[in-house]
Amino acid sequence: MTDVAQRPPAAPGPNDPYGQVPRTAPAQPRPNDPTTFASGFQELPTLPVGDLRPARDAGYSAPRRALRRPWVVQLIAFLILLAVWQYLTVASDRVPSIDNILSFMWTEVTGGSHGGMLVGEFWGPLGLSLQRYAIGLAIGIPAGAVLGLALGTSSWVRGLLNDTTLVLLALPAVVWAFLASLWFGLTSTAPIVAVVLTAIPFVAINFSSGVRSIDPTLMEMSKAYQVSRRNQTVDLLLGGTLPNAFTGVRLAFTTGWNSLLIVEWFGATAGVGWRARFWYDALRYAGFVGWILLFVLLITLLDRLVLRRLERHAFQWNQKPTLSFAEDWGM
Amino acid sequence: MLTVPSVTPDAISELSAREMRRAVVRRWLFRFSVLIGWTAFIGVWYLFSRLVFNPQQLPEPHVVATESWTIITEQDVRTHMQASLLRVLAGFLLAAVVSCGLGWLIAYNAWWRTLLRTIVQFTVSTPIVALAILTLVVFGVSSLGPIITTAVVATPYIMMNVAQGLTGVDRRLIVMSESFGRTRSQIITGVLLPSSLISVLAGARLAFAVAWRMELLTEIFAASEGVGFQIRRSFESYDVRGMIAWTVLYIVVMLIFENLVFRQIERRLQGRTA
Amino acid sequence: MATVLIENLTKIYPPTITYPHRVQALGGVNMSVTGNVFVAVLGPSGSGKTTLLNIVAGVETPTSGSVRAVQDGVPAQVGYVFQEPRLLPWRTVLNNMLYVQDRKSDRSRREAEFYLTMVGLNEVAHLYPSQLSAGMQQRVGIARAFLVNPDILLMDEPFSHMDALTGRSLREYLQRVWLHTRKTALFVTHDVSEAVELADRIVMLRPGGVVFDDIPVNLPRPRHPDDPAVRAVEGEVLRRFDSMEAAVRFGAQAG
Repeated sequence: MTDVAQRPPAAPGPNDPYGQVPRTAPAQPRPNDPTTFASGFQELPTLPVGDLRPARDAGYSAPRRALRRPWVVQLIAFLILLAVWQYLTVASDRVPSIDNILSFMWTEVTGGSHGGMLVGEFWGPLGLSLQRYAIGLAIGIPAGAVLGLALGTSSWVRGLLNDTTLVLLALPAVVWAFLASLWFGLTSTAPIVAVVLTAIPFVAINFSSGVRSIDPTLMEMSKAYQVSRRNQTVDLLLGGTLPNAFTGVRLAFTTGWNSLLIVEWFGATAGVGWRARFWYDALRYAGFVGWILLFVLLITLLDRLVLRRLERHAFQWNQKPTLSFAEDWGM
Repeated sequence: MLTVPSVTPDAISELSAREMRRAVVRRWLFRFSVLIGWTAFIGVWYLFSRLVFNPQQLPEPHVVATESWTIITEQDVRTHMQASLLRVLAGFLLAAVVSCGLGWLIAYNAWWRTLLRTIVQFTVSTPIVALAILTLVVFGVSSLGPIITTAVVATPYIMMNVAQGLTGVDRRLIVMSESFGRTRSQIITGVLLPSSLISVLAGARLAFAVAWRMELLTEIFAASEGVGFQIRRSFESYDVRGMIAWTVLYIVVMLIFENLVFRQIERRLQGRTA
Repeated sequence: MATVLIENLTKIYPPTITYPHRVQALGGVNMSVTGNVFVAVLGPSGSGKTTLLNIVAGVETPTSGSVRAVQDGVPAQVGYVFQEPRLLPWRTVLNNMLYVQDRKSDRSRREAEFYLTMVGLNEVAHLYPSQLSAGMQQRVGIARAFLVNPDILLMDEPFSHMDALTGRSLREYLQRVWLHTRKTALFVTHDVSEAVELADRIVMLRPGGVVFDDIPVNLPRPRHPDDPAVRAVEGEVLRRFDSMEAAVRFGAQAG
């Protein structure tokens, strides 16, 4: 919510819908007439951001004003999510309650026994999964980047490999995960290969479209000025690809995490997915859901706190007057 | 004083013919490289199934092709594809109905916008695998689970585009309609709906792609029929041939929807508004 | 001394999907420019002006004919001001200046800052192009052209994308800067008063990229667009365009 304040204010005020018409001028038709239908559109957000305009709060009583504070609304949103979960707990006997999950996961961290079963493996599975994930991405992202840069710069390579990359992109992560675990069995290789194979096409396609989005007139300019190869590579090629590249890398992070879980769920003897499956098979739903939520929490934090911020930083030069809903809501 | 051009018309047509020949050659070279690319793709596949793995682990392309054909010609495809499609369409329709209302709400009401923004930001970054697994816990193995989860995943995309379409309406058109004394319902049907339709359709297309992906994954974890269920069953019986064949069919259906259904509707709409 | 020698230059674009006809941009252009002169290439749209500059800059290759741009026998360094600013949107103004330099040293940074000061933009050096107005962006383009210490200055309708008032003040500005440096300049425009105000010589093109006239402008500098002498030359140029059109039309009827 903090970034909302830094955006330029929405220019046309309610009394001056076009921003230019002097107020004394007799406007025909009068858009401010509260009896007309058009008056409902005065507050159309020129910036469809989630801000609650302070100016509009003036007419509200104190408790209603408090309800309109952004953080209060966010709190309400989380309470709604919690309430939905709590309802599911009551409605279904398989859904564990929040405090059950927390206490189970706490036992998992500290060690102990839970209903006659020995509990207490937390850092082992987590560390192993993260290690596999890191190795997979460390191979997949650079490989995808090289492929994507080649696809973007050379029409020959594009003819050769573009369709193949699209085919690989269309394959669902779950199929990669299944293939990898069939090929490499219950080893650490299978999850790593699955992460690599899901990451590569996402990174490659986004790098390639990034290169191709660079304005060709800028290349003409570089040619006319005989700009050095180094500058052309660093400033023009990489600089122009960077925003798309970040999107690709972010997608690689999220889809890679997905396929890691699938491989570990279906064919592994260690890792987060395996641990969740273990508790599922043992009918300990608190442990099972706890591990799944941990899995969600990790990628959500990584995505929101690191990757999206970096992406926004890479897009810093592109100052748009308005954001679309999708851009603002991070979709 | 006029200076005579030093190139004769004959020379110019000769030169232009040369440039045109060059362009044609370039185009054919590109097509040729695409052909080589596909050949290489199939070739590498053969190579992998013969040398790196064995045909049990990765069947050759022609084996997969015949297997796909067998699935299509036999009864299998109808029951499972139908089950998947019905569920995804049910979820999609549910999402469409819900998100029309929510889209209207977030377009014109800042309070609801903030509220739903928070919820959507939370659900959108949830990995779909986790959603699929949680579906299994909440609903067990049933048809309802995949439908609900698909709807939950698809809703934000349609909702967002409904709101985008509504806020993207040219205000001046509404003011113009007002000044000509049009009624509220006339404005809604004459201005609001047509001009937001394209954006809504774009959202629907995106939502369908997401829903189809979600459907596959929920079926893998929590279903007793459907494409995803078949892929999982093939996997558990080490039947790679069937697994890849079902995947191919899954992708083909996705492409059919993408290119034949949505693209066609979009083209028709764009032709009318342009 | 810088020389541009253009011999029998022809450029023909083949048909494309969007425009399925061949286009003759240049049809045998002959001209030579030597020394510290400001040459304006004047013509309506479709007369191949931009193509001419692009070929001189080495951005495009001619269909036939040759262009030689040399400075004391070696290939000349060109500075090119484009119709639109053509700045890297993801780099700041200062980094855009440094982009055209080979090495990024303290010295090149000082030079870049000097030329930015010259166009009055040293205070926005840290901003991104999208944060500047169109006129400011074009001034960055001009500063960049001078930064490479060009032997030949190429300008492609640099003021056509901005409002008339901004264009007018930038024109005055360019004239001052040019008087200061006196680089060999090739200035492409469709604006007669702009050509007369700035140039020592006006080369006139007609559609199809054919040179039909070439007149010197011997007026004292700095010139003012409202000066009667400038107005008189403008009238003369317009008359020649009219007679060219009449001749073409007459020729077409006769043929």
